[in-house]
Amino acid sequence: MPRVASGSGGGGASDSITGALVPFLPDSQDAVVYPLLHGLKPPISRVSISWARGNTLRVSVFRSSPAESDSDEDVGGKVMEVRPGGNVDGQLSDAQWRRVAYGSVSPFALLQSRRNSALSVSKMGLSPSPYHLEWWEYVSEYSKDVSSLLGNPKSSAGPVIEDPKEVLKKVEEPTCLKAAWDLMEMFYADKLSQAWLPERLVDWLADYDSLLSDTQATVYLKLMEFQGRLVTLLVIEDDSRYWEVISSALAVGWLEIAVKMLRLHGSYQLDQLGSRETENGLVEAVAVLISKMPRLRPELGAGKLGECFKTKPDFMKAWERWRAQVTKLESSAFWLQCDHLQTREGLKNMLQIMLGNASILSTATCNWMELYISHILYIRPFTVGLESMYSLAQKCIQLKPMTIPHKLMRLIVGILGENTEVILAECSRDFGTWMAAHAIEFLTAGSDQAEVLLHEERDNLGGINIEELHRLIYAQVLSSHILTWQIAPIYLISCMKQGMGLLEILLYRQPVQHNQLLVKNLEICRLYELDSVSSNIMKIAGVYHWKHGRKGYGVFWLQQARDEVCLNRIAQQLFNSVGKSISDESFKQWEGLIELLGSESKPAGGLEFLHKYRDFKRSLKQVNDGKITDATQQAVESLMSLMKNTSTPQRFWLPILYDSLKLLYWQERPLLNASQTNLLLNKLQELSMARLHPDFIEADLPPQALSSVRLALATNLGRAILEES
Amino acid sequence: MAITGLPQPPQIHRVPQFRYVDSIRWLPSISPFQKYLTVAFFDTDSGTPSLEIHSLSSSKTLSLLSSWNPPSRISSLKCTPSLIAASTFSGSLHCFSTAGKSLESVFAEPQISVVGRDFHVGPIGGVDLMEGGSDCVSVGEDGRVNLVKIGVEGYHGKGNCRRVFDGNGLVSYTAVRWASPTEFVTGGCGFGLQWWDLRRPGSAVAQFKDNWDQGTTSGIIHSIDIHPSRKHTCLAGGSAGTVFAWDLRWQQEPIILSGVGTNDAKTHSLSESDVWEVHYDCYMKSASSNTSSSRILPAMICSEDGILAVIEQGEEPLELLAEPCAINSFDINCQNPSDVICSLEWESIAILSRP
Repeated sequence: MPRVASGSGGGGASDSITGALVPFLPDSQDAVVYPLLHGLKPPISRVSISWARGNTLRVSVFRSSPAESDSDEDVGGKVMEVRPGGNVDGQLSDAQWRRVAYGSVSPFALLQSRRNSALSVSKMGLSPSPYHLEWWEYVSEYSKDVSSLLGNPKSSAGPVIEDPKEVLKKVEEPTCLKAAWDLMEMFYADKLSQAWLPERLVDWLADYDSLLSDTQATVYLKLMEFQGRLVTLLVIEDDSRYWEVISSALAVGWLEIAVKMLRLHGSYQLDQLGSRETENGLVEAVAVLISKMPRLRPELGAGKLGECFKTKPDFMKAWERWRAQVTKLESSAFWLQCDHLQTREGLKNMLQIMLGNASILSTATCNWMELYISHILYIRPFTVGLESMYSLAQKCIQLKPMTIPHKLMRLIVGILGENTEVILAECSRDFGTWMAAHAIEFLTAGSDQAEVLLHEERDNLGGINIEELHRLIYAQVLSSHILTWQIAPIYLISCMKQGMGLLEILLYRQPVQHNQLLVKNLEICRLYELDSVSSNIMKIAGVYHWKHGRKGYGVFWLQQARDEVCLNRIAQQLFNSVGKSISDESFKQWEGLIELLGSESKPAGGLEFLHKYRDFKRSLKQVNDGKITDATQQAVESLMSLMKNTSTPQRFWLPILYDSLKLLYWQERPLLNASQTNLLLNKLQELSMARLHPDFIEADLPPQALSSVRLALATNLGRAILEES
Repeated sequence: MAITGLPQPPQIHRVPQFRYVDSIRWLPSISPFQKYLTVAFFDTDSGTPSLEIHSLSSSKTLSLLSSWNPPSRISSLKCTPSLIAASTFSGSLHCFSTAGKSLESVFAEPQISVVGRDFHVGPIGGVDLMEGGSDCVSVGEDGRVNLVKIGVEGYHGKGNCRRVFDGNGLVSYTAVRWASPTEFVTGGCGFGLQWWDLRRPGSAVAQFKDNWDQGTTSGIIHSIDIHPSRKHTCLAGGSAGTVFAWDLRWQQEPIILSGVGTNDAKTHSLSESDVWEVHYDCYMKSASSNTSSSRILPAMICSEDGILAVIEQGEEPLELLAEPCAINSFDINCQNPSDVICSLEWESIAILSRP
């Protein structure tokens, strides 16, 4: 990881003025400087930049001539990784993103398996559509599972807290990702509450208005600002900002805040109550009206104001009644008796908001989204579902154009416009690959039209559909990180066309040197029944370990991969070292490897010879001169089986025979019969011929070894013939 | 469930760490009301490994007491009441004394660090500390078996390190466990187990190899445990969900507790993926009244497919945890065996309290 340094790297940079390798013009607008501490002495001859894992760049810096360096601590170059830019979201750190990625695996996999079983049911003709009624419930469950990962559910906007001066409650900062997910869930997954969608939008804005403050003026910001001044205000109702802020809060439907602030009005103070009775009555009347506002929704959270109506007819009746009360108060004679100008104007303004005065709503709100919400609340309270919501949004955008559109607002426009491609593009651009891959489930469940669009195979995408494209992109991002690559297969496997191919590539690309990682890699192969991939990976691992001197590991993995060819090849190399070094003592070292080669049924290539050779050596050691024991018999059998076996390398023939001299010169009686001795003599003859061949490797034995073996064999043959006759 | 005495499932707390957890152990504490953990982390964002001591509050929150940065990631971690030993993937061994120190200062400086080509080349597969003693045995992929004496005052560097065996890469060891003050068991490829006796140096005194399956599958031993009351029996877990016990008195007949490579219908196969760690579970009382010394005591395992379970010879396994990701290591609190802690692949720790 690079360390950020402001100056130049290296101690000897004095000869280059700044140490900068590339001239940098400070006046260029978009340049971002990533200082690297490479610690190399100049001169630097070459810099190479390439992609490293993930979104990091690999920068390799080379010195000109390492040969000339006088001290040995000088290095010829250095490789560093640089991560350009920050996080896409700016709100979630890498580690938090990984947590979201881990957590979304299970809901995603569950939904996919449900889809597959739903599809197979529909194929069997049991159900007319793959997405029967229950599908909504599945998507909704999926959505809730994922949503819980993104943050705790929080439906209180800035609710009342005991501190009378605290209007906005300090809560955990929400994330844009959560806001976007909630929005998608509201429109696509939660079919049960489609009827009170407008009210859910009101709640949504209450939760996330603070996020919009990044690029927009918002009521939230206004409130925050006013709350800061609240403590310094002595006569609160004289301040025009006070009335402005209450109106704004009322306009966007934050009734609790509006009421709480109204009750901060000076006329509530005990010492003033007598002199300002009418004024106080009017304030209280407005506050009561606000808290009695009818709402078309099944329930309200704790501490929320308003009266709930589940059905539209009930709501309409209540609304008319409430409106009548508002109108009545508006034309009341008490206003004339109210001396306080600001209070009178402020309260009347609020009544206008409640009566749906468009121009006052427009001044009370700060951006089109807030204006839109206020329209829904006070001008079109009977809106149900999505009807004409888009045209209303368009109208609000015209009234309050966005200078810098916030990403959440762009997403809302896409959703209201029912434009699947726009929604997906916004998800992918503003909320990252994770959002695009996971939110697509909402869109395919949203409408048949969208489903067709997303599942249509496209030639310009190489025959895959948009859904698969976004999953592949997400899988690619996962693959690039050392900790998340293991969950990429879940997404790849859900991609019908390209998934398997990419999964194989992903598995092949994982490093094999780390034993635990290798095992995890093989486990994924096992899960997806990729036997050939698994065996190739084991071969790669085997060769890697072999090359790095871990012969046992190498042989083990090659055996697991059943790679006879490789085992045979490395057998030849092993024999070289066996031929040179093997002695009784060093067999202890070989023991483990030979044990590994042990049982006959496992493929060992030419290496099974080692096992037999060890047995032969071991029994030979136990042979005592003079007495015929089981060990002697064992040794003779081992000798014969070694010499008969075609896998015994030629170069071992002479050492084996030379080792067996004491068997051939056995005092008591010849241990080998005539035919056995003949066979050995033939082998010796074959060996003499082979020695003429230029490739022959001479065993490390005394020069007279061959002749002494020949003499011993001849002697034994003579004795055996005599014995047998 | 065949195993009785556990009417309720354990309470489970998952604590996200935002770092990879390489290994986790309980740290024996003097006070019964205090619980301490030592955890080997790897921070991928900065590329730095760390070894940390945390105290665990009753509300299951961790607070850092002491931390140390090893030269590379921790491959194996062991704790006794007086010592902590950690080995790394770069082949070094670091030991810390906890005796007579506040836990905040344990990781100030290692009591002993053994590094260098004379020690291990490449990753150390396993270390083990002798219970109540001061000897640490380490085994590596390079096939070396080394013994490090710790308690010796004024002894630093190579002087207190002794080579027991050098396999020269012809074998690789992946796990090790002390059986007695002079004996230990190592494990490696091909489900191989080796019994070593320091009084008979040069080579292993007994060897075990997988002969039960006639060559269909083989695997690697990942973890070994030996019960202090049954020193002749060695419990091993490894590839393909294999858990078996090897009794020195019947060397050719392993007792298979779990695994797919067996044709034995009586054996329950809990998992088909790698068993990363096995420990005898002193919390579980054996369901059977047969308490002969040849019977294998209940043991807990964790696996690559996310299972934490208690297995017992001839009984149905009892699953404590089934995670969507691998459980890489776990530890049972020896002072309060109802507490189990495990490290999950997805950068978190799970804390279990058994009723």
